[in-house]
Amino acid sequence: MRSYWLKRVLGALIVLLVVLFLNFFLFRLMPGDVVSTIIDPRFSPEAKAELRKQFGLDSPLYEQFFRYAKAMVTFDFGLSFLSQRPVWEELRSRLPNTVFLLGSAFLLSAILGTWLGIHAARRRGSFLEKIVLLAGSVSFSFPSFFVQLVLLLAFGWALPLFPLRGSVSIPPPEGFAAAFFDYLWHMTLPVFSLVLLGFGSWAIYVRNLMVRTLGSDYILLARAKGLPERRVLWGHAFRTTLPPIVTIFLLALPGVISGAVITERVFSLHGVGTFLLEAILGHDYPAAGAAFFLLALVSIFCNLAADVIYGLVDPRIRVGRSMEE
Amino acid sequence: MTLLRRWSIWALLAVTLLGTLGPGVFTGDPEAQVAAPFSRPAWTPGGGSPPLTAFLTTEKPAALVSWRWEPPPNVTISGFLRYAGQLERAEILWSTPGGKTFVLASSKDTDTLRVDIDGRDMSFKRSLGLSPFDDAAKALFPEKGTYTIAARPTDGIKEARVTLDIPGKKWGLLGTDQRGRDVFHLFLLGIRVSLLVGITATLLAAVIGLGVGLSAGYAGGLFDALVMRVVDILLSIPTLPILMVLAGLWGKGLWQLVFILGIFSWMGTARTVRALTLSLRETCYVENLRSLGAPTFYILRRHLLPEAFPLLMANVALGVPAAILAEAGLSFLGLSDPRIISWGRMLQEAHGFGAFSTGAWWLILPPGIGIALICLIFLDIGRTLEEMSDPRLKKEMAR
Amino acid sequence: MIRVQSLSVDYRTHEGYVAALKGLSLDIPKKEVTAIVGESGSGKSTLLYSVLRLLPPGTKVKGSIIAEASDVLAMDYEKLNRFRWNRCALILQGAMSSFTPVLSIGSQIAETIIHHRGLSSREALLKTSELLERVGLPAAFVSRYPHELSGGQKQRAAIAMAISCDPDFLLADEPTTALDVITQAEITVLLAELVAEKGMGLCMVTHDLPLALSLCHNLAVMKEGEIVEAGRPEIILEKPRHPHTVELVESIRKLEEGSIAK
Repeated sequence: MRSYWLKRVLGALIVLLVVLFLNFFLFRLMPGDVVSTIIDPRFSPEAKAELRKQFGLDSPLYEQFFRYAKAMVTFDFGLSFLSQRPVWEELRSRLPNTVFLLGSAFLLSAILGTWLGIHAARRRGSFLEKIVLLAGSVSFSFPSFFVQLVLLLAFGWALPLFPLRGSVSIPPPEGFAAAFFDYLWHMTLPVFSLVLLGFGSWAIYVRNLMVRTLGSDYILLARAKGLPERRVLWGHAFRTTLPPIVTIFLLALPGVISGAVITERVFSLHGVGTFLLEAILGHDYPAAGAAFFLLALVSIFCNLAADVIYGLVDPRIRVGRSMEE
Repeated sequence: MTLLRRWSIWALLAVTLLGTLGPGVFTGDPEAQVAAPFSRPAWTPGGGSPPLTAFLTTEKPAALVSWRWEPPPNVTISGFLRYAGQLERAEILWSTPGGKTFVLASSKDTDTLRVDIDGRDMSFKRSLGLSPFDDAAKALFPEKGTYTIAARPTDGIKEARVTLDIPGKKWGLLGTDQRGRDVFHLFLLGIRVSLLVGITATLLAAVIGLGVGLSAGYAGGLFDALVMRVVDILLSIPTLPILMVLAGLWGKGLWQLVFILGIFSWMGTARTVRALTLSLRETCYVENLRSLGAPTFYILRRHLLPEAFPLLMANVALGVPAAILAEAGLSFLGLSDPRIISWGRMLQEAHGFGAFSTGAWWLILPPGIGIALICLIFLDIGRTLEEMSDPRLKKEMAR
Repeated sequence: MIRVQSLSVDYRTHEGYVAALKGLSLDIPKKEVTAIVGESGSGKSTLLYSVLRLLPPGTKVKGSIIAEASDVLAMDYEKLNRFRWNRCALILQGAMSSFTPVLSIGSQIAETIIHHRGLSSREALLKTSELLERVGLPAAFVSRYPHELSGGQKQRAAIAMAISCDPDFLLADEPTTALDVITQAEITVLLAELVAEKGMGLCMVTHDLPLALSLCHNLAVMKEGEIVEAGRPEIILEKPRHPHTVELVESIRKLEEGSIAK
């Protein structure tokens, strides 16, 4: 068992190294002057030369890489070209919005989707199952921002229940409770839109898993044992599908970050997603590189967590057994 | 052919025809302004006014304008009045249903009155007694009813040619955007971009995936393990941020975009092809061929490729929606060539230029539904191809 | 006694309903072994599953199954759940997985005792270890997971689970298929012992006529959803009347002759 964990952690570290490597070269192998991607193009040639030296760009590549890797791992991302503030500070101010948005949306859609998927699997051919299948295909073929724009048009303009943009009213309301509800009011539509877009694929995934499990022999026997239906459904069937559900939950987590960029843009929220977008549009390379590195870090962490938790919830896990088997 | 019986293949044909021939119906430049910004589609009830024109002619130096709408977005008047002799004063008058009268233009001591008025002109606003930020059109159309535009005096007109032009707030099938461009025209142009990007990017991905999958599956061993590990990593990293970074760094051109999308979506195909190759490699005839000393390339080309081909086509069709959605997403984020009109770009401009404060749904629904429709078409074609290539799946689905 | 009367079962498929049982009647007496033999697809398993009402939803079932003066097919859900396992337990094929893979063997046996007998979980686990020992497994297997057991061990554990609530009837669906020959013999002996010891009625479905003959007091031969012949095994063996039975008996004779010739 221990070698299983060890192998997973080692694998994650290797991937981290690859990401650092890619990140390092991606931002250096771009067309044009190397300096332009690292140093603000508005500086004079003398200042550039000075900065080159200061940044150690005249030293050998491997030395640069090590310096870069060390800076990244210690979250020392440098100064943003655009705001002239430390990138990490800027990112930190935006994290709460993004974490709240993605966290609540992801949890809600996973819970709703799992619940719907289980009941759709129980009642094959029912109205509920048809809804689940429809919601799933919608989430595969509709552009997310389109659905969000339509929601914004419907509930922000046609039926103005929710604000069109931002995460706080201007001016912000007085008092903690008022501010809290104002925040919730602003976040309702973004979160709702993400849940609407996300629960379908969850429901389909869980339904397919549950259909297979409910058709298995041990469920037949659990019924024969005279156990109440609730116990058969949750204690046996759902408990069996839990490991793959937890795994996919963690593996899907990095994917929702893509949703952050678009959702924050549609609803004009001050978050990490808009930060990445602004950094890219404004050729703010330190900022873009940092945001990108953080994304990769979250992905790697989720992958590792998925492996670890899978090992905990599934007694069948064996040493060296890979996820897909 | 099963495929010919599906709705999707005919829908794809129709969409392609619409995308290639449709824009030809329009003679003008798609970038040109055709009506007031944010004009509603012509077929919608209520609300905005249609475009309206009235003429003063030699025979009829007065015209009635019956107005049943909100004030128009703008008014322009151009042309001339020529009298037989010099007049002390000539005017063009505007009288409202309520009996108010405005002097739109006047001249002194000439035989010709030339007019070239735009409602936005400062001098015109001043001549009406309005402040610079007042809306001249609103002042001229205070109520609903019948308005009169007339020359004064009416006697002695030798020639009159004056046009009153009121741009509509309704236009065409899908109205206009924030710059007064015809949305339907833009919509038809967007089809091309979506199809082009979607199909070429997926084909590129298919070629890469086929190569990687075949070689990994056929070579096996360490190479295979290494390649599959790379595939796993690439699959686990969220694609949109990578695409954003690459598009931001490499430039926003259409072909750069195709290239970026292509090199980041081959992983699924590679997996499928590898699995197929692995299973085929174990079959007798490939084993026999190998023991007979057939060159690797020959086996790959003559035996594995034909087997993999139908599945590959299904994979391509199923991959197109992802590419189209990615392109639209990047365009929506502003990471595409601003000179190329695409559906994602239309949505981005609608979002950025206040379609929400005006409630301009006709800027949002057509491109969005268009993207979804094309995605559904390709999904259906892909599933049909998949069933055709794998009879076991078909049985499974029928159950 | 469980009395099956003119039972018809139609499965729902994509091509419409398909008959699995066609008006079948059969008595399963207490304290005796009843064997049902027949080819695969003859509806043997369907018969067993319908006694516990385990057929998939949408299946058409007609007729009656009378156990203790009440019709299983007409029971309400609560009554049915008390009938299941308490009065009538089930053993699946050796190749089928009787145990939920993510739960320990012990917890799965204990839950039936807790549910039907109302014991505390400690008492139930204690009884579970006793049961495991009774079927020839170490008591430590309580905390084992299904994947850690061999096929024969799993089948023993399944038998322990089946007798956990001292049912009056045991239904066994090919209990020895997919096991090796020695294990088959051991399981057969175990079942015979338990039936004698607990005074249960065993109804066993099999396509293995020699196995059936070695255990049973009553024999029924099924073909295409109907019982074509039933009675004492020695009489049937002596004078098979239905052509299908003749074929079956012939095949055994040939086997025996073959093994002697060797």
